[in-house]
Amino acid sequence: MPEIIIDNVRYEYEQPGKVLQFMLDQGLDLPYFCYHPSMSIPANCRQCLVKAGTPIVDRETGKPELDEDGNPKIRYFPKFMTACSLDMSDGMVVHTHVTSEEVRRAQADNLELILINHPLDCPICDQAGECPLQILTYKYGPEGSRFEHKKVHKPKRIQLGPRVVLDAERCINCTRCTRFTEEISKSNQLTIVARGDKNYPMTAPGETFDDPYSLNTVDICPVGALTSADFRFKARVWEMAQTPSIDITNGKGCNVDLWTRDNLVLRITPRYNKEINDHWMPDEGRMAYRQMNENRVSKPEIKLSASEHSKTSWNNALMTFVEQIEAHKPEEILVIGSPHAPVEDNFLLQQFFNKLGVSDTLFSPHITPGKGDDFLITDDEAPNTNGCRMLGLGEIDKKKLEAELKSDKYKMVVILTDDLFGRYEIEPSITEGKFTLTFATNYNATTKAADLIIPVTCSAEHTGSYVSVDGRIQRTLPAKETLYSNRRLNLEMSLSRLDHFGTKFDNWVSDRNRIDCIPAWEFLVRTAYEMNLKLGFESSREIMAKISDELPALNGVTYERMDEERGIQLDLKQIPAENVS
Amino acid sequence: MAQDWKSFKPVLIPNIPDLAKIDVYEKNGGYSAIKKILTDDKWDSQAVISEVKEANIRGRGGAGFNAGMKWSFMPEPDGGPRYLAANGDESEPGTFKDRKIFEFNPHLFIEGCLIAAYAMKIDAVYVYIRGEYREFINMMDKAIEDAYKKGYLGKNILKSDFSVDMYTHSGAGAYICGEETSLMESLEGKRGYPRVKPPFPAQKGLWGRPTTINNIETLANVPHVINNGASWYKSIGPENHPGPVLYGISGHVNKPGVYEFPAGMKITDLIHEVCGGVRGNKGIKAIIPGGASTPPIRGDVIDGVTMDADGLREVGTLMGTAGMLVLDEDTDIVDVITRISHFFDHESCGQCTPCRDGTGWLYKLMSKINNGEGEMRDLDLLIDVCNKMEGRTICALADAACWPVRNAVERFREDFEAKCKKTVYAVA
Ligand SMILES: Cc1cc2nc3c(=O)[nH]c(=O)nc-3n(C[C@H](O)[C@H](O)[C@H](O)COP(=O)(O)O)c2cc1C
Ligand code: SF4
Ligand code: SF4
Ligand code: FES
Repeated sequence: MPEIIIDNVRYEYEQPGKVLQFMLDQGLDLPYFCYHPSMSIPANCRQCLVKAGTPIVDRETGKPELDEDGNPKIRYFPKFMTACSLDMSDGMVVHTHVTSEEVRRAQADNLELILINHPLDCPICDQAGECPLQILTYKYGPEGSRFEHKKVHKPKRIQLGPRVVLDAERCINCTRCTRFTEEISKSNQLTIVARGDKNYPMTAPGETFDDPYSLNTVDICPVGALTSADFRFKARVWEMAQTPSIDITNGKGCNVDLWTRDNLVLRITPRYNKEINDHWMPDEGRMAYRQMNENRVSKPEIKLSASEHSKTSWNNALMTFVEQIEAHKPEEILVIGSPHAPVEDNFLLQQFFNKLGVSDTLFSPHITPGKGDDFLITDDEAPNTNGCRMLGLGEIDKKKLEAELKSDKYKMVVILTDDLFGRYEIEPSITEGKFTLTFATNYNATTKAADLIIPVTCSAEHTGSYVSVDGRIQRTLPAKETLYSNRRLNLEMSLSRLDHFGTKFDNWVSDRNRIDCIPAWEFLVRTAYEMNLKLGFESSREIMAKISDELPALNGVTYERMDEERGIQLDLKQIPAENVS
Repeated sequence: MAQDWKSFKPVLIPNIPDLAKIDVYEKNGGYSAIKKILTDDKWDSQAVISEVKEANIRGRGGAGFNAGMKWSFMPEPDGGPRYLAANGDESEPGTFKDRKIFEFNPHLFIEGCLIAAYAMKIDAVYVYIRGEYREFINMMDKAIEDAYKKGYLGKNILKSDFSVDMYTHSGAGAYICGEETSLMESLEGKRGYPRVKPPFPAQKGLWGRPTTINNIETLANVPHVINNGASWYKSIGPENHPGPVLYGISGHVNKPGVYEFPAGMKITDLIHEVCGGVRGNKGIKAIIPGGASTPPIRGDVIDGVTMDADGLREVGTLMGTAGMLVLDEDTDIVDVITRISHFFDHESCGQCTPCRDGTGWLYKLMSKINNGEGEMRDLDLLIDVCNKMEGRTICALADAACWPVRNAVERFREDFEAKCKKTVYAVA
């Protein structure tokens, strides 16, 4: 097999690639800024310089020439090479800062040059703490600077678009942002303007940077030149905990990280998943953090009048639910699941009412034709439409839904977390005379119409599985605590949090901002217990185990596998196709 | 030198009235080289390349690379388009020779392009001309139009099966667009950022297709090589750097201008015989022989030095574009280098770190010294900044920015030190 020798260590390789990517794959360290594995290679930052050479081949024999010790003689390139753009070849020898003092010095030289016009305002810069420039300067930079002149001044606080703010002085001109709009989002909205040390990225005159993927440039900017208009100055990176999750605002299932402090989700950023979203996510999904914090239903509520609800105890809510069920015949109860709720909640809803003799659980997909693109935004505005289909829930559209809600057949309506009244603009009066219960995370038109509101956990508080439009099942993990510590959720949380435990500096352990809610399945399990129905689950993990036993499409699906394999691709053929009845 | 320069008859810009007109050009033997190639079977594309390679026309754009050799790097045709880009960006300070060809002998250049296109099986030629040359762009457009009318350009040239199209393209005021890969980006309508090599233009050039880039003057030499043969060409000037050269001489001489003479002219002959000597009969402080980026040399080393690659290497400088700047003994060399540093700071495209920030740093240090605020340690710092920049960038602009500074500090150290020593420190 061909091999490459990096800092005197031999590595075999199968496919020749670029030296830098190979080193990163091997877990080796080399400083770099402009290189990004998903974009073209401009080799403009010049930070990844290495000394490299190839064996000298004897022209006559075609064999490498050997020195006295029998080692191949190496011809070094006359200049340092940029590892990011250097093609590997058999027998190539590479020296980095580890074995070459010259290279180490060249790296420090380059950082000294980058920094001469950098404002060094780290104490007030959002990027501090997760800034490649800061990190690499500590690791590879010079001791100080010999630059004693005025730095170049450039525009600051430029609102490039609705979501992205530019500080051109911090820019190191790596062109990652412009390459992103050119090669990934293809909006071509950004370009570099001006020349030399005066240049910075900008939109064309009169244009705004409203690319639906604009915030990805903030993630990949290796300095604090591009910041999120929304997140700016809200928190320092090291104050937040980072929890892996998925984007629940559409059907793609982009992998994300939730960043929490004090039980508030402060930002959402994409997490690399080659199968789904690579390094990217749509801006819309990032804004979902708001609905995880704001306008939340906390503690059950019961309707007093058309315009007024009042908080009530969990016990009272549960007893009211039991009373209403007992007061109605199974065929008088309309049960509607939700493409916004995880597989586990939908399954339990279906099972619970099955046990009571209700034959059908319905759901209404949340699809807006034409909203999607051929990248990461889907027509489907819900994360789990395929999950509902897999469970065999009956699919109904707006017309059918209205007919059902209106129908005299029913005396009681149960809606799992889904703002049906809001998204279909249905009049609250439609369910007049029927007892309506909704599970809800946030206040909305549906909670307004409901007689009883059960507050439930959102994707930032529970663990639940969702099946994407492409048939990939993945789960969310709890990132923030609910009001009453939930042992099961905490267990998942300690597994999920990347730091695995809190410290006393870790603000999320405080009691603030906790919502009084429980997972929907847990409310149903408690009710079942109260009614002596056999539905004894202690965790969503157990529920998934049961589902994968029962549903052939989900055979072998476990939380462990989902975590290890970053989601499991299901057989799309086993998912019933859309069948609006 | 094989022949006395004084009896040399110019061939690139000969003194023939109205040569820019196509009829006059034809009457004086114009377009006979392309006719010869298209009618004589002996001249297949390989034969043309060999002849040009043998002639050793060294690129007049600055790097001095054998043109025929460059042509031989083009891969075999695969059916897709192939391009020639003629480089008339002419932005190097002290360089003003290609304009003479646009103005006085455009058809010679067009014919050179035709031969190059024939040899490399190219179907389109782009002539990239600096935007400030609006007048010359118009002249070129007119010449191209006339050549089309007479059937020298377009489909089935001179009724052969050889076809080629030619277009002018105006630059927009950036020196960097003269760098060959940046020129291609600019031609493609993009920002003039030089590309990383490899891939080389012959492999992946304009729109990802095989492309050759040559300077205007380089191409203008080609018809003569075909007409008179490589050995005739090599008999002009030194063996290793032959042919006629357009010397653009400026600075403190009595008669600055563009003069055509064989390569390998003595610097002193150019100054004293051709340009009528130094203004006011002053002594010479320094020569910058081939455009602002070539290392300056001291006036006291120029005796006997010839203008060709080998001659200039001996005194530690380069031929560049043969745009020679003569500076008399009263010149403030620190001021000159400061101005040159300003140019490179202004013209760096800003793509790579060492050049983007280094050119600015050099200029700031030079200004500091020039303004009488310099300190001796700044001189070492200048050299050290050059060390950080040279050989570490995508294109050669960073090197070009360093050479004048590094060499001036080394060769005119006393002038720099004198300025630094005058620095008055404020007493607190
Ligand atoms: C910064 C920079 C500027 C350049 N400007 C010009 C120019 O204005 N005209 C030119 O012919 N070559 C210029 N060159 C050289 C070209 O890159 C290229 O080598 C040349 O056009 C090739 O033609 P030749 O081989 O016929 O000389 C420049 C090179 C650099 C690095
Ligand atoms: S704004 Fe950021 S991503 Fe864009 S070029 Fe500057 S440093 Fe790079
Ligand atoms: S060396 Fe200078 S001009 Fe050339 S690519 Fe780099 S920054 Fe641009
Ligand atoms: S990573 Fe920027 S040059 Fe290699």
